[in-house]
Amino acid sequence: MKKTCKAAVHAVGDAAVIELAGEVDGGAAGVLNAAYEQAVGSGEPGTVVLDFARVGYINSTGIALIVSVLARARAERRKVVASGLSEHYREIFDITRLSDFIEVFGNLDAAVSQLAGPAS
Amino acid sequence: MTSVARPAPRRLAAFAVPSEPGNERLALARVTEAVAASGLPPAQLERLKTAVAEATMNAIEHGNRGRPDIPVDVEVVQEGDDIIVAITDLGGEHAPGGPVEEPDLLLKLEGEQRARGWGLFLIRNMVDAMQVRTDGARHTIQLTMRAGAAAAAPVSQTGGSQGGGDEEDL
Repeated sequence: MKKTCKAAVHAVGDAAVIELAGEVDGGAAGVLNAAYEQAVGSGEPGTVVLDFARVGYINSTGIALIVSVLARARAERRKVVASGLSEHYREIFDITRLSDFIEVFGNLDAAVSQLAGPAS
Repeated sequence: MTSVARPAPRRLAAFAVPSEPGNERLALARVTEAVAASGLPPAQLERLKTAVAEATMNAIEHGNRGRPDIPVDVEVVQEGDDIIVAITDLGGEHAPGGPVEEPDLLLKLEGEQRARGWGLFLIRNMVDAMQVRTDGARHTIQLTMRAGAAAAAPVSQTGGSQGGGDEEDL
């Protein structure tokens, strides 16, 4: 399957930020998993931020990938937050109940500002 | 009692896409183009796009088993305020005898349900009505979006002669 998802990882304090771009679908599995590995591989972040500001498409398989990342983070006692979701995908986070487990911020700056304090 | 005649259905588009992974994007682009002048508000258009993509992906993967030589047929019709999209594969019953598992995020997070399984759930929650019918090998999922309707609430799936509750999930 063609890979049309890209990810950039960087640290902000106790958090690791994964900035996603393109399409989060079945083809994004390798990119997302590698990005998560990189994010938690150094510094043991307490929080992982998934930024979707440059994501134009998420399908059901992409939702499943996000669920897998969340499950792994929970097992490792890390918090996952999201930023930059469009109104439509924010609705999908609500419908699937992902937003019950992933705090959603309007943009990355808002998420990072909130994370400046100690992780809850 | 007076009755108001509904406008005759108007076909906005009819096309086919080969059953290859990723072609759901092609279908949703064509449907988006077809309904551009229909007056569907942007939020509803986004919901329809998600439903069309998921239904087409289901038809490609589970209906036609990813065989490029078997097309997925898509028809877009406007009937009054309703936009109706019918997506047909040749897979007959997708999951005969197998009830669809309702996705439960907590169970998925605890590893008691597979992470996938959101496709049909998303479709149901995106559109105002969904109907599934099977006629021999032809398996059709019909999605209805009512222009100007409030945000779509989860719809009850209604079946045709067969297959009402047997749509295979993604």
